[in-house]
Amino acid sequence: MRYIYIFVFSFSILSAGGGILDIDWSSVAPKSIQQKPSAPYPKVLTEGIKDVHLPVYLSRQFAYDKNMSVVADKDFYTITIDLDEAVVTFSGDRTYQESVSPKNPEFQKIAKATPPVEYNSAEGIMSAMFNRHGANYSINIECEDPKKDKRCQKIDFISSLYHSLTIVGGRP
Amino acid sequence: MRYILLVGFILFFTSCSQKRVEKLRGFSYTPAGKLVPAKSGKGRVGDTYIYAPGIRFPIEEAPAYINSQVYGIGGYLGEKGSLCDKRNYQYPWHDNYCEKRGWKMPLCSGGKGHQGDDIRTATCEKKKYHAVAVEDGRIVSIGKYTVSLRGKSGRTYRYLHLDPKTLQVRRGQKVRRGQRIGLVSNYMGKTPTSIHLHFDMKQTIKIGNKSKVMFVPPYTSLVDAYKRLLRGNP
Repeated sequence: MRYIYIFVFSFSILSAGGGILDIDWSSVAPKSIQQKPSAPYPKVLTEGIKDVHLPVYLSRQFAYDKNMSVVADKDFYTITIDLDEAVVTFSGDRTYQESVSPKNPEFQKIAKATPPVEYNSAEGIMSAMFNRHGANYSINIECEDPKKDKRCQKIDFISSLYHSLTIVGGRP
Repeated sequence: MRYILLVGFILFFTSCSQKRVEKLRGFSYTPAGKLVPAKSGKGRVGDTYIYAPGIRFPIEEAPAYINSQVYGIGGYLGEKGSLCDKRNYQYPWHDNYCEKRGWKMPLCSGGKGHQGDDIRTATCEKKKYHAVAVEDGRIVSIGKYTVSLRGKSGRTYRYLHLDPKTLQVRRGQKVRRGQRIGLVSNYMGKTPTSIHLHFDMKQTIKIGNKSKVMFVPPYTSLVDAYKRLLRGNP
């Protein structure tokens, strides 16, 4: 049965051609975007995300890190922070590359099984993925010693980053 | 009528010569999703969709070999022997997307598996062969042993295990399709792996009014790209 699904999926259900996901700005707590930070964020951050059209999330403890690097355009951003023997990235994206019918059984199952935040460890990299306001976000931690460094072995560290996320920018 | 026949003849000749080039170089591959050996897990059999059409092959020059690192000769769970055994460096290619792993992978049988395809270079030598950009885009992140390229398509391609000292790109840099990124190695921080390029592709799939980011099968796109590389038209 699985093969039949895949066969059908391969030839007719998946539709190439992407687009932009709608952002539900009403779901963004007004406080989050109106509240001014206690101190101005570093220029590297404010300049880097000034044209981003989705809420930009970053963990509080890194919001004032002047050594971060930011790569962004209007529909996505990636913020990288170099830690001691590890690198952490925060990404947000409101684009999609393919679409599939919600009636497709395989994808229906995948969508249903997706938790609000999904932690995963693969290739020694710890990640957290979640969807908010219609956009997709991720946090990744890559360690110099992926087999021994607890930040890449256990979810505690990434979970703490996830729970300290704050909106640092982005506009409709 | 004469012109139609002429065009037909040219097309036929071109197609034959292309097939000859592939045959000449001996390239062959097993179908997408057919994992070798069988104990290495269940692949995504039957999914022949090309998720990233038109990409450039991620290693600059042929030959290159897609097969399992873990279950190949000398691999952690493979036949005893050297990782450099010549049988690891020969056709046919074998898909290893969805190969057994404990990692969450919604498109794999049982929801777990390998996120991409492992590619060996022409010979078992590190820091000799260039990994290149598969499409125009920007380098969005460089981690400890990962380089991520976001293509113009919006897809993110990850290159793992390049030698960090040989990287020719920096974070935020715009790159052109085919531009050199770094040399393929066995680098994985303090725990080296076998000499190979782990290549994967992440994209967002819209499912009705929801969406999900997934690592999609790269094998068919790589086969297509490799054929073009062999024809001299990467």
